[in-house]
Amino acid sequence: MRFFKSLISLALLSSLNVYAQNATKVSVWVHAGPGPEANAYAESVKLFNQQNKDIQIELAKLPEGTYNDQVNAAALSKKLPCLLDFDGPNVYNFAWSGKIVPLDSFPELAALKSELLPSILKQGTYNGKLYSLGQYDSGLAIWGNRALLTKAGVRIPSDLKSAWNLKEFEAALQKLKASGVAQPLDMKFNYGVGEWFTYGFSPILQSFGGDLIDRTTYKNTKGFINSDASVKALSTLQSWAKSGYVNPSTKDDGDFIKGKSALSYVGHWVYQDYKKALGNDLVLIPMPAFGSKAVTGAGSWNFGISSDCKAPKAAAQVLSFLMSESEISRVTQANGAMPATKKALAASTKYRSGGDLAIYVQQATQGVSVVRPETPAYPVITAAFAEAVNNVMAGQDVKKELDKAAKKIDQNIQDNRGFPAPK
Amino acid sequence: MQSRASLSTPRITPWLFASPALLLLGLFLIAPFVLALVLSFTDQRLVTSDQLPTEFVGLRNYERLWEDESFWAALQNNLWFAAWVVPLQSALALGLAVLVNQKLTLSRVFRSIYFMPVAVTMSVVAVIWSLLYAPDAGLINRFLQLISAGAFQPVDWLRDPQWVLPAILLLSIWQGVGFQMLIFLAGLQSINPDLYEAANLDNASAWQQFLYITLPLLKSSIVFVLITTTIYAFQLYTQVQVISSSGTSAPIDSMRTIVMLMVHEGFKSGKIGYASAISVVFFLIVFTISMLQRFVLKDKAAA
Repeated sequence: MRFFKSLISLALLSSLNVYAQNATKVSVWVHAGPGPEANAYAESVKLFNQQNKDIQIELAKLPEGTYNDQVNAAALSKKLPCLLDFDGPNVYNFAWSGKIVPLDSFPELAALKSELLPSILKQGTYNGKLYSLGQYDSGLAIWGNRALLTKAGVRIPSDLKSAWNLKEFEAALQKLKASGVAQPLDMKFNYGVGEWFTYGFSPILQSFGGDLIDRTTYKNTKGFINSDASVKALSTLQSWAKSGYVNPSTKDDGDFIKGKSALSYVGHWVYQDYKKALGNDLVLIPMPAFGSKAVTGAGSWNFGISSDCKAPKAAAQVLSFLMSESEISRVTQANGAMPATKKALAASTKYRSGGDLAIYVQQATQGVSVVRPETPAYPVITAAFAEAVNNVMAGQDVKKELDKAAKKIDQNIQDNRGFPAPK
Repeated sequence: MQSRASLSTPRITPWLFASPALLLLGLFLIAPFVLALVLSFTDQRLVTSDQLPTEFVGLRNYERLWEDESFWAALQNNLWFAAWVVPLQSALALGLAVLVNQKLTLSRVFRSIYFMPVAVTMSVVAVIWSLLYAPDAGLINRFLQLISAGAFQPVDWLRDPQWVLPAILLLSIWQGVGFQMLIFLAGLQSINPDLYEAANLDNASAWQQFLYITLPLLKSSIVFVLITTTIYAFQLYTQVQVISSSGTSAPIDSMRTIVMLMVHEGFKSGKIGYASAISVVFFLIVFTISMLQRFVLKDKAAA
């Protein structure tokens, strides 16, 4: 009873609070990522609401696993929030279909263009217009447990020039296994069939010389996603599971922390947890050159303003607040991501040369990172590719799975007449 | 004249009484189905675009369906699941109901125990069982190793295409059987005890009593249980979806059901038109099967 009373009074108070100020409400959706990141968003919102009496943010944090589905459902029922974030290239379908508005007409946002990292500017641009802004870029490389690697006698590359090649990488896995590390390589298969599979494993395809789609026309995937190089890439991945280097059935996010694995193939977002667990034994190893060159992923969550928004100007103000140096620093300190503006990047101690995460900057500035395909077909590409990766890891025929994915994606591109660009 | 009036007045009354139900049925069952039927002939997208308005595409979605390996695999998975779960779960539920219907001191306790899993949300059950099925530290593999004195090699139940559906079958029965048990129990308790007393006087064995008294008098409960279990079996979604999305899963076509395929095509790939075609075909299949079942069972009941 007391609980209900306090609930009711709380509801009354909060509604009074909003109505008393007669403020413009801006609904914001963010994906609820790992703990510290979600808290950072909550703090940013709190600060904004305190500083601005005329605009009040209403924040909703939605579970990451089904975030895209929920956004799609909201778009269908025209209930998109004012401001929302998209995982990487999912933004293009929304830009193409007119569900989000170009940001160039908001002066405070257009001014940010010259400040942004090139990868984030590229990620946010579709059809020549800026549609989204990201607070950070991602970093993907391999985390290593120095103690276990040294014990197994594995050389630890410290910069891009000395990155492992495939032979050396597989030899390292073998040595680690022989030295008693149960599953030497953790590839976060516990994340499940979803965006991680495409973000994490398409760089392996590209390193071998394959790709998800024809990057010149964006009209077909046949001969790219199922090319010999792509088949070789996923066959290699499959062979690691067969040799017991990788445990594709893991449900445990802590394999690396517990020392079950000595290498962890995952992005920047685990930095805080890993650092806490391993301390100075944590090393960041540049992406190996599996094929002719090393390739890593790029792009991350980015914000757009929906066309359903009744107060786009207020939303732009919120977005520009989120893109300020202090807010970018807040969220990137929480999740370990690479700050997306030059100013915030320069202010970050972790990303300075010699910093824990400097490898990410080297990869981003020396042409190692490749963004995921910039096309409205991306949702279908990622769904089909992730399904193929899952099936391959369960032992299915690689060529057959990738052929199936190619057919599915190409059919969808044709059905949408190649996604004609908006006028 | 007067009699005519009295005939015509009540004609409105039943409709008035039925109208709330009819309205809701129309709004939430008939209208969506008609909508799905219409959409299945279009290329409706989940995120509609100003660039490409939705168009009629004739039978394209149905032609694609015919060629879609994943659809046939999903249908096969559904049929396999229904063929096993309906007889197994119904027989087990009947057996349990007969057991807990005994007038023993603890029978109430057992009733509650068998019913408990029904009260647990399916997604929770699926998560717990996926831990039980785990290949390395899972209880089931450990137990099998223990009783076979180490001869048993651990199986990755949920990632092995041969085992994933049987594993899901087992957890589904465990979760659902209590509900059917309860229906059978109600049926059993409505049987007049005098009949058993008379049978005892006639020296009928327990098995004969079950065969000639219990079963015939439970007919309507049995028909209800068989039909509802079949429909539930075809709607299989929650446990498969949860299992397939926690970590990697078995090759998806070895476990995906029709409802799951519908969700994947509609919400993940954004092909609402195609997903609608799947739902129409799916409806026709389930409708035919339950009509067939009804027809056969009704026939038997009459005989």
